[in-house]
Amino acid sequence: MWKRLLLIRGAELAVLALLGAIPLLVDNSYVLGLLTLLAIYGILLIGLDVTVGYLGQVNLAQAAFLGLGAYAAGLGVAHFDFGMLAALAMALGVGLLFGTLLAFPALRLEGPQFALATLSFSALSATTLNEWEGLTLGAQGLQVSRPPVLGMTLDAPGFFWLCLLLLALVWLAMRNLLSSQWGRAFEALRDSPIATDAMGVGTYRHKVAGFALASALGGLAGGLYAFNFQYLQPQSFGYDLMVILLLGVVLGGRKSLWGALVGATLIALLPNLLSNRELFQAISAVGLLVAAVAGARGLLRKTTRPFQALAPIVAMGILMAGSLIVENTEDWRKAIFALMLFAVVVGLPEGLMGFAAHFLTKLFRIAPPPLPAAAALDVVLPRQAADGSALLELRDLKRYFGGVKAVDGVSLTVRAGEIHGLIGPNGSGKSTAVNVISGLYVPTGGDMLLRGKALPVGSLFKVARTGVARTFQNLQLFSDLSAVDNVMVALRGVYRTPIPLVLLGLAMGEEQRARAAALALLELVGLQAQARTRARDLTYGDQRFLEIARALARRPELLILDEPAAGLAHPDVNKLIEIIKRIHERGISIILIEHHMDVISELCSVVTVLDGGRIIAAGTADEVKRNPKVIEAYLGMTDDSAGAAAPALAG
Amino acid sequence: MYTLLIVQLAVSGALMGMVYALIAYGFQLTFATSKSINFGQGELVMLSALFSLTLIDTGLPYWLVVPGGMLFGVVLGLFVERAGVRLALEQKSEGWILLTIILGLLGFSAAENIWGRDDRPFPTPIPSDPVHIFGIDVTPLELSVAIGVLAVMGLVELFKRKTLLGKAFEAVSADRDAAQLMGISATRTIQLSYGLSGLVAALAGILVAPITTVGPTMASVLILKAFSVAVVAGLDSGFGVVLIGLFLGALESLTSFYLGSGWREAPGLVLLILALAVRPNGVFGKASIRKV
Amino acid sequence: MLTIDNLHAGYGTSEVLVGVSLEVKAGSVVALIGANGAGKTTTMRAISGMLRPNEGRVLLDGKPVQQFDASRIARLGLAHSPEGRKVFGPLTVEDNLLLGAFGRLPRFFGFRTRAAADLAGVYELFPRLQERRLQAAGTLSGGEQQMLAIGRALMAKPKVMLLDEPSMGLAPVIVQEVFNTIRRLKEAGITLLLVEQFAKSALEVADYAYVMDRGRIAIEGTPAHLAEDERVLAAYLG
Repeated sequence: MWKRLLLIRGAELAVLALLGAIPLLVDNSYVLGLLTLLAIYGILLIGLDVTVGYLGQVNLAQAAFLGLGAYAAGLGVAHFDFGMLAALAMALGVGLLFGTLLAFPALRLEGPQFALATLSFSALSATTLNEWEGLTLGAQGLQVSRPPVLGMTLDAPGFFWLCLLLLALVWLAMRNLLSSQWGRAFEALRDSPIATDAMGVGTYRHKVAGFALASALGGLAGGLYAFNFQYLQPQSFGYDLMVILLLGVVLGGRKSLWGALVGATLIALLPNLLSNRELFQAISAVGLLVAAVAGARGLLRKTTRPFQALAPIVAMGILMAGSLIVENTEDWRKAIFALMLFAVVVGLPEGLMGFAAHFLTKLFRIAPPPLPAAAALDVVLPRQAADGSALLELRDLKRYFGGVKAVDGVSLTVRAGEIHGLIGPNGSGKSTAVNVISGLYVPTGGDMLLRGKALPVGSLFKVARTGVARTFQNLQLFSDLSAVDNVMVALRGVYRTPIPLVLLGLAMGEEQRARAAALALLELVGLQAQARTRARDLTYGDQRFLEIARALARRPELLILDEPAAGLAHPDVNKLIEIIKRIHERGISIILIEHHMDVISELCSVVTVLDGGRIIAAGTADEVKRNPKVIEAYLGMTDDSAGAAAPALAG
Repeated sequence: MYTLLIVQLAVSGALMGMVYALIAYGFQLTFATSKSINFGQGELVMLSALFSLTLIDTGLPYWLVVPGGMLFGVVLGLFVERAGVRLALEQKSEGWILLTIILGLLGFSAAENIWGRDDRPFPTPIPSDPVHIFGIDVTPLELSVAIGVLAVMGLVELFKRKTLLGKAFEAVSADRDAAQLMGISATRTIQLSYGLSGLVAALAGILVAPITTVGPTMASVLILKAFSVAVVAGLDSGFGVVLIGLFLGALESLTSFYLGSGWREAPGLVLLILALAVRPNGVFGKASIRKV
Repeated sequence: MLTIDNLHAGYGTSEVLVGVSLEVKAGSVVALIGANGAGKTTTMRAISGMLRPNEGRVLLDGKPVQQFDASRIARLGLAHSPEGRKVFGPLTVEDNLLLGAFGRLPRFFGFRTRAAADLAGVYELFPRLQERRLQAAGTLSGGEQQMLAIGRALMAKPKVMLLDEPSMGLAPVIVQEVFNTIRRLKEAGITLLLVEQFAKSALEVADYAYVMDRGRIAIEGTPAHLAEDERVLAAYLG
């Protein structure tokens, strides 16, 4: 515990102190300029990493937000006579405002469309800065004077210290945020947007918030940029800078504050490193060597595909050859960036820090932080009244896909406290039915009532908020998060701290309570020992149980289990039955879709049988098992099959 | 007279819009098979145009330059697929977005150093003296753009509908796994789509070059509008790109008349962001069904 | 014709198949039955190359194919009609059928004439498809889509045909029709590996059957033999 704190916090403080002390030790304005740029890029990249790393979206607008922030600060000083802090606040605000405005439309999109939207925004902002000459003086450029801070005029070291201080503050705030529910939600929606919505954590609002935050940091960095260079031109914030910023994030390592700092250092230094021919040759040689060693290792151990091993070697080889041939490296700057970036993206996708982190954790044997004691289950999952009142009513529910009538007029009632089995052969419409109930699909027709009120249609998020939780037939875990984090993401009614306080690190108590509650639920499904294991590393059976624990974190009135036993080995099926019984004891109503007849017989008080999208039978498990229509649906029609199989089934 | 001027502006703008439509059509081809597009397509357009210019300089006749340039585009398209897209698709990651941007940057830098940074005229045998049609001036050059665009799009569509390979292309777009089970290689088909995409992009570059001049930055603006057209129409909208291309071309021509030429890029970008807000799948796009 | 030897396969870290071995002799119909989640569909996917096996061998006509890509295995003469039918929705019925024969037709022109006789054969088997030959496949009913999926696999003139859950999601009358079709395929001498949830019906048409349970073959034998075995129902209904 202490070792961990000491090493991690100690490293942070040491780097901060070292950076801060350099101007006292070295009196060199060139070095100071580089350090200032490093701090500014650090803030910028920490912001960019939120979208590129945590949200997993390629964001091509960060350079534009830098520009908007820079102009906002510059114009604030010129027109309103702002002090530095006010101007920086304005830069931040402009970033936040435009970030939010762009986020609303852009974040409804995924992948390439999102990248295109941000690219267009960059171009639009460049056009505006260029053409609105009345305000920005266009291509001619804008002179910015460096205003005083609280009445004090800053010299170059003073301004650097201000930048460094802001970097430290941003670092702290982002560390607090990213280790809170917000950070978890960001990662969750990257791994599975569908499950994020189904757990009542709005995908959209978190994406918008994350992007707005990233843009605000871009704006803040822009303000500092303006006061550092004191001269602004629209074309400084174009496509080239954007590529360099992406290089920084990817090279440093995604999802890591340290990665952002390393990336910032590299991109601040890179232009200078490249301008010296000998140095550039040395860097290319090192790059080639690293690529060759890593590639050969990957090939020998068969951990990488041939392309992944060879392409970086080829790229670095071209760079090496180029460094020997080309006289003026400045002309080829873009190609050099491109080759380096290519080699890193293909060969070292986790970046330098991602690579180093594995190594350092092993070296110092840093233990993970300890877990709190599990909370009492009665608090986490209060008992509910199992009074048999109508909980969920479906009336003539329909869902068609083209010519296929997947659900074709289903009416049923689920009563409070019962385990309602939903069975039927493959393709009979069970999964489609629960997908309609849980909001993944909009019904083609019919009504759905929860406690007499209409259930929201077509929104996983809204349905989740009404107290219906579900698991998925094809697992939808947040695979990069640990088991306990998976449950914590879904916890309902725990996270109340407003975001400013989260940034200040005041959500710790809430976090501990949430973790304790999540552990109680893990205990319920027997996963307390695997709390820290990444979901993707759990066994298949444990992944199924984790999905159940995660759904329970919603404290649901109605829990929908979509084939929880599919693919489970026999001992795990027994364990599953125990878990479902325990959940049932707490008064939670359950819809259980299942194929294993023994599971259904053991658990369900009521069973509904679907075939071809319609209900063909309903009643107790024994009743439906004897129903000839059910036997027919299950075993297929033969002339004598119904009669012959009935005793076997009933027995 | 004033109305006529407006119409004149709209028509010449719309003819330019056909070029955006053609590049956007190239995006659709690769998006259909692999849900990926080449973010460095602008550089591909530009490199093909510069290569064609070199062919002209060697004294090759125009009717040989065009297929030569298009062939170069195919080669570049195949290279992008191999170096930038295939690995990411195999890993089911979105790394191809970054990688194609990177390859574009490499191409840009190469162009700067091989052909120089200056813009150069692109000679063409097609006359640029305007002819009058219904009181509007149209140059044969502009008309050649429209005809070339429609011709190549028509040919590609014909290929998709009339040949078995084309049908295989559609099959991979509809259901990649099922297509594999028919013996159709998805990898080859994606390769084919990148080749075709490179081909139409190269043609776009050659068609537009006489109007815009040729240089490393010739396509940086062009490509943004092609992106806009592709997204506004929908990346699976087929000929929808032509309508949106015509519309956008006309719109920006009028914008630059009323607001000044510096603002001519703005409407496409605003349109794109608006379209995304209202119809994320594009005006002519189909909504997708989420699956679990 | 098709031999599977000790096949291991799965998704991510979890192994679904733990050593499956089975054999399909030329001209025979073999049924693969078992409860849901037993690994039937995974076996089919591992055979046809949609899923790369972790271990074990797949021999098609004596030739190991387990390391090949799905499209290559298909061109070697294995037609897999997948679970859920997977017809090409936007394409016409006839185009779907033509693509079934992709591996043995010219790529550009003349493929229609070359395929005409086989096309006529499929239309004879499924007259309904001929009526709808120019209709988009996605607009067909579930039963018609299943006919199309079978017809498409037939067009390949395969050495072995894999048929995965042809009755899934179909109304009882249509299921009957599907099994009649399978009987006709059997009469025509098609080598067939059939995955079915309707055990009774599958056993009726099959020459030999394997029962899967939790990723391995639990029981095998002739249908007559299996029908007597109580373990079959146990494996099936849990």
